[in-house]
Amino acid sequence: MSLIVAEDLRKRYGVVVAVDGLNLRLDEGSVTGLIGPNGAGKTTTIKMILGLLKPDRGVVKVFGQDPWDNPDIRSMTGIVYEKAFFPSHQKTLDYLQRVCRIYGVSESRAMEVLEAVNLQEASNREIRALSAGMLQKFAIAHALVHKPKLIVADEMTANLDPQARSELLDLVLELNKDAKVAFLLSSHILPELSMVCDSVAIINRGKVWASGELSDLYDKYAVGIIRVTTDSPEKLAAEVKKLNYVKGVESDVRGFSVTVVDGREDEIYEDVPRLAKRVKAKLLGIETGSASLQELYRLAVSGREGK
Amino acid sequence: MGKGKPFLEVLSSAIHEDYRFPFLELFAFLYTLGTFALANFTVGVFSRVGTNEAVAYAVTNSLITGSLIVFIILVFKNVAYGLGSELEKGIIQTYFSYPLKRWAILTAKLLSGIGVSLLLFLGIQISAFYILAPDIVLPQFSTIVLTYAANLSYPLIISGVILLLTLQLRRGGIGLVVGIVLYFAMSIASSIAFVVAQATDSALGLQIISVISPTYALQYHYGGLAGASSSLWYPTLSDTMLYVGGSYVIVAALFILGYIYFSRRLNL
Repeated sequence: MSLIVAEDLRKRYGVVVAVDGLNLRLDEGSVTGLIGPNGAGKTTTIKMILGLLKPDRGVVKVFGQDPWDNPDIRSMTGIVYEKAFFPSHQKTLDYLQRVCRIYGVSESRAMEVLEAVNLQEASNREIRALSAGMLQKFAIAHALVHKPKLIVADEMTANLDPQARSELLDLVLELNKDAKVAFLLSSHILPELSMVCDSVAIINRGKVWASGELSDLYDKYAVGIIRVTTDSPEKLAAEVKKLNYVKGVESDVRGFSVTVVDGREDEIYEDVPRLAKRVKAKLLGIETGSASLQELYRLAVSGREGK
Repeated sequence: MGKGKPFLEVLSSAIHEDYRFPFLELFAFLYTLGTFALANFTVGVFSRVGTNEAVAYAVTNSLITGSLIVFIILVFKNVAYGLGSELEKGIIQTYFSYPLKRWAILTAKLLSGIGVSLLLFLGIQISAFYILAPDIVLPQFSTIVLTYAANLSYPLIISGVILLLTLQLRRGGIGLVVGIVLYFAMSIASSIAFVVAQATDSALGLQIISVISPTYALQYHYGGLAGASSSLWYPTLSDTMLYVGGSYVIVAALFILGYIYFSRRLNL
């Protein structure tokens, strides 16, 4: 069953078209990442899904219903906004207990969700006294109070330290596995999304450029990518770049990814060891088709295969 | 999951924010101070005005005038600053994540911002009035109610305008400035209307401003205050009640527009 169905969505702000003919589907139990550059239309899309914005055209259904001014949907949906704001002069535990009463769940749930995000020590603190990271954790706790079936989160890990990010991603996986909670996660931090998402929708210029299960997208877009790991990525990448059948090289601290002309993947297996020997780089591995989500995103957006 | 009480909890949260310490205490003190200080003064002065109705009107009007500005400040603060900052910061978005219709969220905000303030104002004033002058309050209760209704309609019209501006602009600053300007503009407009009425011997200007602020119609019905001439215009009690009713139609129209915008058009 599809929890979210968006068809041909369009939204414009004055002359700027933020979302233009966007189609999106999120199935029950799925963790879907919504990725795209700044201004791609991610937040506008999420706002239309949450019933905060009315689309100029198209249809959006959440749990089979129109999300605009629909309290039934909100009972089943947890929301984490990019910038979370709450009535600031109330204490965290008091406010979450209030939220428990709003949804008709036991007030003891308030402390449970604070503990789930490691915020129990701030239970007696006013919301305005929380740091940006703590406020983000509080927003996540707030979204979990009523045990939703779907969580929609816009930049959920923004403002969190690496430890908190890791814990939160574990929590996403746990909720998805144990409680079958579906997630729609928008983020710029692609390595994080790749850890938790089973499918992604790549948005650019207000349209979904590619979407589907990650494995299918890798099969479609990551053809012709070879991952090289070495102790001297910069030196070796510079040499590899000179090869006439190499279309692009993306370096990082542990190696680089090479995109080659279709049908010439085999040649790189001969040339890279030779070049490594020449520049005295220690070659640690060569793998085919192991693109990162970052590379997948770049390929899809640049329209390398799917334009 | 049981049945929650989203409306009451959002209302309670809104009251908690609008009247956090020391606002409630400060405004309650100002109402009480204004009411008792002026009541002690006015009961003696206006007992010589004329009929019992006129005395009740004069005393009530004087009581209201002393504390109305406190009420206006509190309501403007809650509607413009309170709702405006919640729209600007995104707290309304948080309320929108609860299982509650949009109109119910706005109702909770308005009950907190205006309703509680009105309750505080009327509760303190009428209690104090009854303690100080029970012989006026009980027999002339309808006159007192009409006087309150007439005096409160213009501040409520301004509150409606502030609400619409705040919803449209998603911030309260401009609404607040417009509200203050409108409040003082009425004093100027009434003075101009009075001068024009005297010069032209026509009460049309006074009648027009009485549609928005029917306290002027009531004032002329009771012969004006402090010896102001009543020969310019003498609206009957029925006329006066029509002006009061008309002004509340404007109040209702403004707030209905606010509800329609909030429920159907407000994109966040």
